[in-house]
Amino acid sequence: MMRTLLASLALCLMPAIAPALETGRIFVSNEKSHDIHVFDSDFNLIKKIETSRRPRDMKLNAARTLLYVACGDDDIIDVIDVETLEVVDGIPTGPSPEVFDFSPDEKQIYVSNEEDSMLEVIDLDARITIHDVPTGAEPEGVIVVPDTNTLYVTSEVSDMVHVIDRVEGVVTNNIIVGTRPRRFVITPDTDELWVSAELSSEIYIIDRTSEEIKEVLEFLPPGFRPEDVTPVGMTLTRDGKIGLISLGRANHVAIIDAHSKELLEYVLVGRRAWSVALSRDEKIAVVANGLSDDITLIDMETYRPIRSIPVGRVPHTVVIDD
Amino acid sequence: MKPFLAALFALILSGAAGAADLRIGVLRLDVDPRYDADMAYARIELRPTGDVEAAVRMALSDMKIVTDARGLDVVLSSASVSRTELDGAAQAMVADGVTHLVLDLPAEDIDHLAAALADTPVTLLNTTAPDDWLRRKCHPNLLHTASSDRMSVDALIQHAVANNWKSFLVLRGKTERDALRADAFVEAVARFRLRVVDDRTFDLSTNPAMREQNNISLLTGGTRDYDAVFIADEVGEFARYVPYQTARSRPVVGATGLVPLEWHWAFERYGAPQVNSRFESQSEGGRRMGWQDWSAWIATRAVLTSHAKARGDTLEDVNAFLRSERLRLDGSKGAQMSFRPWNGQLRMPILLATHNAVIGVAPLDGFEHRVNSLDSLGYDEGEFACD
Repeated sequence: MMRTLLASLALCLMPAIAPALETGRIFVSNEKSHDIHVFDSDFNLIKKIETSRRPRDMKLNAARTLLYVACGDDDIIDVIDVETLEVVDGIPTGPSPEVFDFSPDEKQIYVSNEEDSMLEVIDLDARITIHDVPTGAEPEGVIVVPDTNTLYVTSEVSDMVHVIDRVEGVVTNNIIVGTRPRRFVITPDTDELWVSAELSSEIYIIDRTSEEIKEVLEFLPPGFRPEDVTPVGMTLTRDGKIGLISLGRANHVAIIDAHSKELLEYVLVGRRAWSVALSRDEKIAVVANGLSDDITLIDMETYRPIRSIPVGRVPHTVVIDD
Repeated sequence: MKPFLAALFALILSGAAGAADLRIGVLRLDVDPRYDADMAYARIELRPTGDVEAAVRMALSDMKIVTDARGLDVVLSSASVSRTELDGAAQAMVADGVTHLVLDLPAEDIDHLAAALADTPVTLLNTTAPDDWLRRKCHPNLLHTASSDRMSVDALIQHAVANNWKSFLVLRGKTERDALRADAFVEAVARFRLRVVDDRTFDLSTNPAMREQNNISLLTGGTRDYDAVFIADEVGEFARYVPYQTARSRPVVGATGLVPLEWHWAFERYGAPQVNSRFESQSEGGRRMGWQDWSAWIATRAVLTSHAKARGDTLEDVNAFLRSERLRLDGSKGAQMSFRPWNGQLRMPILLATHNAVIGVAPLDGFEHRVNSLDSLGYDEGEFACD
């Protein structure tokens, strides 16, 4: 406690750092350098936080005071204090945690465990796994639908989206999608679930009510082959009007009208564009480029890349605290 | 520039429309000369050992959740028989309703079976025979998930070009397989206008009268300079002594040193570690996944994926999907794969591996193709003709 106070005091004395909440800080997890790069809202590097090995997916708690980081090679979710930028806690998981999400009350954490083909349900207070839901091989994307009992998980090997009742802990439906499904977003009206299928170069739009595929989107930036397009990361603006989709080895981000699904622009970024996040004012998008070890900033008014900034080795996820 | 709004895939699960049987077979020789360990008196495993059935079973378990969702009850028929019993065993499986048969057999046996089963509905999957002549037979009921000789040597040539190796000394054993491999390499060398400084045959004996063929210094000396030695040695007994003994200090590739393979246990990207660790936890004695295992695993996955995703439930629908570009199969090598329509060969990345590391994944950066860069490996549509 004392340490926390001192650390935050020290931070307050430093100029150019905003007050503790809504710091505007940008966090980038780097799988191969086992650290998180933290930038201030002007994109100056302010700290490299050493984490457990192979940090990948990251999420903030609702209060935006703690940042959770799944560390795949140490079988732990590190917990970082957003104010002090120190690792303050760790939640043990099964082997190789990759992607996770919280229950709406933040009492449970759902982790995809790619070695054991399970979705682990961990009680955050008790620090124990209270339930395992068997999934197809290599589960990856996990998303909890707000205000419901529904949770979705992808299985990369079985090309499926599992629909899971998180209270009952059972799979209620399986939806077959494209090859190597990776990540999800849910539209703000919660009507649509979007799934990126990395190796069939598609985005599946699933109607959440009928659990049927409504539409399949494909992208092809000029000069690329269809097989170069390996979409993974996605994000939507809060009003649900604009969608951003990273196209992996096609080194572009597609910006689309999220309603009509019309393409607005292809933005050139770094190599193997992966995770994509928006700042709170939605003026800037940040893309992690896994094969060029940098992040690219995109101006959301002009849809132009502003600049790229070096980070650690193999950046995985971007989280913006603002 | 609009994204293609692809038409709706008819992938909607039609509920479990009553459990249907899906019968897959796996067939191999009880004594396969290719896996004969007798040459290895030093107790070093020269040639791969282990049963590909472990890999087929892994694919069934990987895909169980999918086949369950489609209401498919997958049954595996497995047989390990002598050469004379092959025909009968295959016919019995087909009579039993097997529609897709995974073969771990030499090329001659596959050629024979494909002809014998031509009038049955079964699709054969060649998982371990690399022979290009078998592709040129163009059996309509045969697909190949083993890399062809030409694909494998093309991968090596890409590495050579990328590293500015321009000339080779070719060494070949006296078996038919070694001749096919070495001939494929010589052809691939010509395509990139590289050079073979000499093409020599080695001999396993210690007979002093044959020292030009069995003494490695003599075998690799007395030539113009070369950048690397390529050796074709299916058995591997000779090849393992060649590195570090060559007359010139040059790398050795082909059967030892840098080897082109469908799969390697040390591959670290694209989800490969998960595939390897699943295999090690399911295989006999926890053995590592070999290239034969990968080929059998991906063959089975291709069949099950087609059953899950085909537009329609008939065998024709499934086989049409299996052979279409829409297959977009993931083999944990970072590329979407499908079967080449002109010869039934799975287009795939090839790993270039040493005994404990994957040095490169072909197609290497910069090797392009007008349609699909995977087709920079092996005979392309334009240069391929059925016999």
